[in-house]
Amino acid sequence: MKQAQRVYEWLARAFPHEFRLAHGDEMLETGAETMAELAKRRGGAGVARLVADAAVRLPIEYLSEMRRDLQYAVRALINSPGFALVGILSMGLAIGLTTNVYSSNWALLTRPMQGVAHASRLVMAEKPISYFYVESYREQKNVFAGVAAFQTAVPFNVRLPGEANGKQQRIFGQLVSSDYFQVMGVDAERGRVLSPTLDRAGDAPTAVISDKFWRSRLGSRSDAIGLALRVNGQAVTIVGIAPRGFEGAFPTESAAELFVPVTAPAAIAPELSNDVLYRRNAREFLALGFLVPGVTAAQAESALDGVTRRLDANDPSAPPQSDKARRVSLLPAGTRAPIPPELKRALEGFFGVLMGIVIVIACVNLGTMLLVRGANRRKEFAIRMSVGASRFRLARQLMSEGMLLSLLGGMLGFGVAYLLNTLNTRLHQAIDTPGLPDVAIDWRAAVFAFVAALVCGIGFSVAPALRATKSELTPALKEGSAMQLPGHRRFGLRNLAMAVQLAGSLMLLLITGFVLMGFARGYQVQTNFDPKTMAMASIDPVRDGETPEKAIDLFAKLPQRLKDSGKFSSVALTTLPPFAIVDDDDSEQLTVDDPQATQRVQQPAIRESVGAGYFAALDESMLSGREFNDADERSLMEPVPGNATRMLPVVLNETAAKKLFGSTNAIGKHLKDGTRSYEVVGVVHDLKGGMGIKQAIAYVALSRDDFTRPPAAGITILARTRAGLDGAAGIRNVVAGLDPKLVPFHVETLSDQLAMSRRDIRSAIRTYGGIGGFGLILSAIGLAGVTAYAVAQRKREIGIRMALGANKGQVLRLVLREGIALIAVGTVLGFAGAVFVSKALEAATSVLADALAMGTNDPRLLVGAPTLLAALALLACYIPARAAIRVDPLKALRTE
Amino acid sequence: MTKKQAERFLPLKPQWFHILLALAGEEQHGYGIMQEVLERTMGKVRLWPATLYGSLKRMIDADLIEDSPTRPRPEMDDARRRYYRLTGLGRQVLDAECERLQGLVHAIRTRRGMVTE
Repeated sequence: MKQAQRVYEWLARAFPHEFRLAHGDEMLETGAETMAELAKRRGGAGVARLVADAAVRLPIEYLSEMRRDLQYAVRALINSPGFALVGILSMGLAIGLTTNVYSSNWALLTRPMQGVAHASRLVMAEKPISYFYVESYREQKNVFAGVAAFQTAVPFNVRLPGEANGKQQRIFGQLVSSDYFQVMGVDAERGRVLSPTLDRAGDAPTAVISDKFWRSRLGSRSDAIGLALRVNGQAVTIVGIAPRGFEGAFPTESAAELFVPVTAPAAIAPELSNDVLYRRNAREFLALGFLVPGVTAAQAESALDGVTRRLDANDPSAPPQSDKARRVSLLPAGTRAPIPPELKRALEGFFGVLMGIVIVIACVNLGTMLLVRGANRRKEFAIRMSVGASRFRLARQLMSEGMLLSLLGGMLGFGVAYLLNTLNTRLHQAIDTPGLPDVAIDWRAAVFAFVAALVCGIGFSVAPALRATKSELTPALKEGSAMQLPGHRRFGLRNLAMAVQLAGSLMLLLITGFVLMGFARGYQVQTNFDPKTMAMASIDPVRDGETPEKAIDLFAKLPQRLKDSGKFSSVALTTLPPFAIVDDDDSEQLTVDDPQATQRVQQPAIRESVGAGYFAALDESMLSGREFNDADERSLMEPVPGNATRMLPVVLNETAAKKLFGSTNAIGKHLKDGTRSYEVVGVVHDLKGGMGIKQAIAYVALSRDDFTRPPAAGITILARTRAGLDGAAGIRNVVAGLDPKLVPFHVETLSDQLAMSRRDIRSAIRTYGGIGGFGLILSAIGLAGVTAYAVAQRKREIGIRMALGANKGQVLRLVLREGIALIAVGTVLGFAGAVFVSKALEAATSVLADALAMGTNDPRLLVGAPTLLAALALLACYIPARAAIRVDPLKALRTE
Repeated sequence: MTKKQAERFLPLKPQWFHILLALAGEEQHGYGIMQEVLERTMGKVRLWPATLYGSLKRMIDADLIEDSPTRPRPEMDDARRRYYRLTGLGRQVLDAECERLQGLVHAIRTRRGMVTE
């Protein structure tokens, strides 16, 4: 009974202040009397009912108070539309921008792949391995419920049914083991997925198509299942359609439209030739594992490490590796971008910092405005407090206004994010970026926007609310809003907030600028000739249905035929278009092969296969030695007999040569990688392009393998022509004359190609520039608001000064002085912060490190950004400050 | 005060109806209202304190009841108690609700053939 009495009293005291003011005592008294009576008549059950009633009413009363606060808040905002508009707009922009970053970048990192069951249990080996290894991994039943093998970004020349003589389309897909879909937990939307029992070697070739293929290429026809496609000239039956949104494992590398089982004949996919499924040294498959429940990726990794060590020990072709290093590293494969956890953390950190700064700036901005507004409403608050309103109540009401503003901003923000997303999607569709998902703004983004709005609402309104309601009643009543706030001149909350905001904006501007400038510089390609005069086209004879022998013959004849056409001054073949951006991960370890050397020199280098006359076609002179000639190419076209190894010619770029051989002459020196030996025949200048980073590149001559199993981009023909001539048409004619079956693709000029690679930087400029610009606008608004407030506050003082003879210049200086001090403090803080944050990011992530390292040295940015911000800030101060010089002393004095 | 204004409150929440009814006769404090409802309904309806004061607060806000300036004799008075009485609108709402309930009862009786139209 006593316990119940205490609980009831505690509950009664927890009711909202207003409620207690009106009925608190009575409720306590009535409760005590009722409880005594109930205990007598109905015992414990009655007492419990009494307490329960209070417990149930408590939240109801609070909700009703909140509703009332909200009504007041709506009224207050309607009464000051300017304040509301600026607040909602800036909050909306901030939330919209962060939601956009969240739903595009963040989601790409973390969101599970569509159509996949149990995405979190999928892992993928980072490095390609041979099919034999995959089969051994499959036996680790205590770790994996299933292991599939796949090759991604495999090109297929596809002719759709009903278009017997129609155009072939080059479509990218995957070669997958037949248990691939079971391992991924993906069911067919229509038809069936591939299965180990139905898709065996020797069966009629089958394929599963993606939903996108079905919709866009087959026009969603209902009889798609059972149709026969011509894939690389061979008939392949469609047996199923993958679920919507499923683009295969590792979609950021290449979104797959076609899934062909590895049991298919090599005629359908040259990748499957040369017994690739049975050769231990054919490291061409990625392993995809489905973990047994409860097993972590780290556990699986160590289990596979043991297996791989055993396998490597029995494999003479295995690349030499140190004993300590992990042989296998697993990446999470259930998300769109399988990236190692450390990198993921770094990227999350980067985006987190970006979003955080934007939110903080917006919060501080609104906080400043609320502070200003609160100060202007001191008289109102003082009156309400003097008639009995509690400070808590007033603070709560101010916070309600903040929350309302923030929630409205959140709604607007969601709209902004939706708009940005639509724009982005349209842009990606227009340029058909591979691997970029159509990230939709969905409920997760909405929840994010809502939470962001709540955080902002609380974040920016607590301090101003407490501040505004803390005052001495008498002076506030007397002087109202014109009262000087204690300490507001120098280190007040408001000035601190303003300096933080300026610093934050500058940080945002600088960091985004660093990244941008870094990218921009990296992508600046310098050619020694007009890139418009270089025509490019790719061909892939094997996939156009030619035999490997015929393909080799074609490539042997093609350059001469092009030159004979009289249109081209120089011609070369390559597997990779020049200036393409190559991932560092694709590099191979080169070792100096020198029996007399005291220490082993190793250097990872990117391998590029180029044909005879490649550097001449690019107008690049050799630093020393020679480049590949027809003789090199011819000798490499002969199949290697038995186990004989052959010394391959290699051309190094300047960086690779320096790293491997220092200042000594590299020509004639020997190198080896895992399986091959090389002799350096030439050293060439670094091409000025790619990421602009000095990458070590080893150029090897085009070989038989390149021609019979061309990579995803096919074999690219580079042909220099004279300005004004249509090189593309020239290439087409010659190719058609040589073999009418061939279908050239990616026909363009080098200048088109460079423009394409620059679109990444354009998209980056839009995103990061947008974020930087946003910070700038917000801080300008904030500064203008604060200055306007200061002017309004000091109207009387200004009036007196002017009445005493101060001139306009002096008044302006008086008002601007504070703003300028703030700008100076903010600039210094922001500068230091930006340098600190970018150094931290640089250390944390290699992805941004290159861009940041180059960006941080750019004087245009280091001087330009603070100057721009300071100029804008000054303008933002000046415009409201002009109001000060228009103060009429008589009026100003009379109104008080 | 129009009839329309009163009808906005209909149908009245049960506890509001009981409170209005309790105040129809005389001015009462909260505990008094509670006791009177309990007696009138022979213990069937009990307005629990938190519900009662929550309702009173909302009814004051809705202008159905108000604080009464008249208080009992000093020896009977408890200073902590607030006395409530009906406002004009409160009385109208009570009348309108009674009318509505009567109509309802009439409809039930007609249905069951207890009265003829």
